Amino acid sequence: MSETKFEPKIIAFLCNWCTYAGADLAGTGRKEYQANVRIIKLPCTGGIDPLFLIKAFERGADGILVSGCHPGDCHYNSGNYHARRRWNVFRPLLEFCGINPERIQFSWISAAEGGKWVETINGVVDAVRALGPFEGYQKLNTMGPDISGEAATSGETG
Amino acid sequence: MEKLLNKNSFDSLITGLKKQGYKTIAPKKDNKLVTLEEIQDANEISLDHVITNNSIKEFFFPKTEKILSYTIEKNKVEMEEPEGFAVKSVIFGSRPCDAFSLPVMDKVFNWDCSDKFWVERREAITIVTVACDKCDSYCFCTSVGLAPDAKQGSDVLLTKISNDEYLVETVTEKGENLVKELESVFSDPPSGTPDRQVATVEKKFEIDKVKPWLDDNFQHNVWDEFSYKCIGCGACTFVCPTCHCFDIVDECTMTKGDRVKNWDGCQFTMFTMHTSGHNPRSTQGMRWRQRIMHKFKYYVEKFDSTLCVGCGRCSRVCPADMNISEMLEIIATEENQPVSKE
Amino acid sequence: MIEELRKKAEELLRSDTVKVVFGYGEGSTPERTRPVFITKPEDVNKLTWNKYCVYNLTTYLKRQETRKLGKPAIIVKGCDAKTIIVLLKECQIKREDVYVLGVTCDGVGEPLATKCKACDVNTPRIYDDLVGEKIENKEIPFDERYAELDEYEKLSEKEKWDFWQKQFAKCIKCYACSSICPLCFCDRCIVDKNQPQWIDPSAHPRGNLSWNVTRAYHLAGRCINCEECQRVCPVDIPLNLLNKKLAKETEKNFKYRSGYNIDDELAMSTYKEEDNQDFFK
Repeated sequence: MSETKFEPKIIAFLCNWCTYAGADLAGTGRKEYQANVRIIKLPCTGGIDPLFLIKAFERGADGILVSGCHPGDCHYNSGNYHARRRWNVFRPLLEFCGINPERIQFSWISAAEGGKWVETINGVVDAVRALGPFEGYQKLNTMGPDISGEAATSGETG
Repeated sequence: MEKLLNKNSFDSLITGLKKQGYKTIAPKKDNKLVTLEEIQDANEISLDHVITNNSIKEFFFPKTEKILSYTIEKNKVEMEEPEGFAVKSVIFGSRPCDAFSLPVMDKVFNWDCSDKFWVERREAITIVTVACDKCDSYCFCTSVGLAPDAKQGSDVLLTKISNDEYLVETVTEKGENLVKELESVFSDPPSGTPDRQVATVEKKFEIDKVKPWLDDNFQHNVWDEFSYKCIGCGACTFVCPTCHCFDIVDECTMTKGDRVKNWDGCQFTMFTMHTSGHNPRSTQGMRWRQRIMHKFKYYVEKFDSTLCVGCGRCSRVCPADMNISEMLEIIATEENQPVSKE
Repeated sequence: MIEELRKKAEELLRSDTVKVVFGYGEGSTPERTRPVFITKPEDVNKLTWNKYCVYNLTTYLKRQETRKLGKPAIIVKGCDAKTIIVLLKECQIKREDVYVLGVTCDGVGEPLATKCKACDVNTPRIYDDLVGEKIENKEIPFDERYAELDEYEKLSEKEKWDFWQKQFAKCIKCYACSSICPLCFCDRCIVDKNQPQWIDPSAHPRGNLSWNVTRAYHLAGRCINCEECQRVCPVDIPLNLLNKKLAKETEKNFKYRSGYNIDDELAMSTYKEEDNQDFFK
């Protein structure tokens, strides 16, 4: 167990209309990408509460990707614009609290950009792998009750 | 047993405690607050304050504590109770009011069933109190039947007799054993009557007059009028050494979890909120009344003891300057008794 | 000034313009004041004004107990008046339901509160009536306004993490920070919701981080820097640093300052097509 290589756990919050479809396209196009990502599909990036990200870290995520439609392409017209405002302040807040911003990444990927999805997710996985497990946050679980669930085992390798 | 402790011996006291396997908790100054916390070194100890920011209660009844963990499998639930929570410790430099809160709370934690978390910690922890040599306008221990050099609840009482010297008096067997264990640290008590430096805490009200008034005035305008400024934050209940309400939550996933006991307080709207949405204590006045009634009426009726030790912390931290002794003065002073306006 | 304030309050109550005056009264020590609620003209002598009037009384606009007293006149300093602007923008109060009694102020607290160090609202930006000599509001450059953050922003990632973990470890989850906040006005706070439980109610490090980050974030682009959260924290967590950081980012990215102009669109409920997206892939 102690010898196993660290494999980061990445949670991706994707909008239903663009990035999720883009990831789907990558799949149907039989493009390969690193299997470290767990996708959570949501209607729109505008509906992603920053608490989702905090919860993901609590449950043992090493890195997070939030991705949606390009500006101007939102299925609900302005959801991604509102989301962008939010991340513009939330990201510096986490950074201010000592969380490496590389652990939370953002992208715009359309339904046609299967290639960009592959590239982006590989980039996120590599970046987080280089950072190592998010020990700081996972240690918070050991001080409170451990709720990181079965998946927490990957964190123990670090 | 009487002994003498010199400030210069604090160092050997702390080292001695460590050698005997005690964890030491003492007042420590950090930024602007003096907090009771674990220390490693005698020079961390601060004794110049009136009272520590936190009360002694968190070492017996922590702000959050796991009481049970469980795993759920198919047709099977396994439970595990925590162990090793009671660590042999000494609390050095608590105040007499804090120490007295322990026997007061023993009554409720040993009432219909005995709370093992409380009881085992009570056994494991020895209390070395330092009598107050100063006080501030929020202190009112003398009004609730205590004194700045009261012994109840302490195992050992230290009283300042000069700038560097403390008179050591053992109060319980546990305290006596502790002093014996560390005999070399202490010297013989001075002959004659030492000059005890003890603060004079002004008596603000007659406690005997409080309960009779409370018995008659569950409905009274003063509850609302006094608490308009209250913002319902509950900080008073959290810093109080005798407030002991808690909430139990499960922090869990689908297959495993922990049952956790957390501090809770009667000043919160949510404290009494029913599932239906109905709230029997719907206004802050009612919640304020509950705090006073619990401390000075219900607890007295049930356990024959006031649930307040006069430390004054609630009034010090209150963001809106609600002052509990002021309220009790209003209640206890006859000519000052508010007239209900119909 | 006290006399003028009392006279004004008396007039308002006598003429039945308002039913109650939210003001400052003498506290339990000379270094404190306390909120008072004056309903009778003969009680106006309970009002006071001094450098210890640190409270932001607008928080009583959200409390049902004080709302029930009827239309209030509320004594506000320049900083507190910003809350009125936000509450109006966020439809929490109607302009005609509150009589804003502004006071000019050249700093409160002893020692001087941090919020007063780079004050540019000595004279309130909104009021129905003003008490005290009018003070010209200064223009203070961006860097100076957020100077307090410099020493923390300079820290390394690990130092930041350790600093905040040490601070949050003290948290006892009394929620005084949100109870006092005039802009934390949800009927039911997210921490009090448990289906699902987004934020652990326990005061352990994980629950404390989630709570403190979420509290701060919910005030992003809204906080007007009255510093009440920090003042009331019974364990002395420098909460306002988080709020200030968010205010700085809001201003930097969206050129928006909360509570300054009633005509500005609220930062977090609007957007511009050209908003910053440097960090998007």
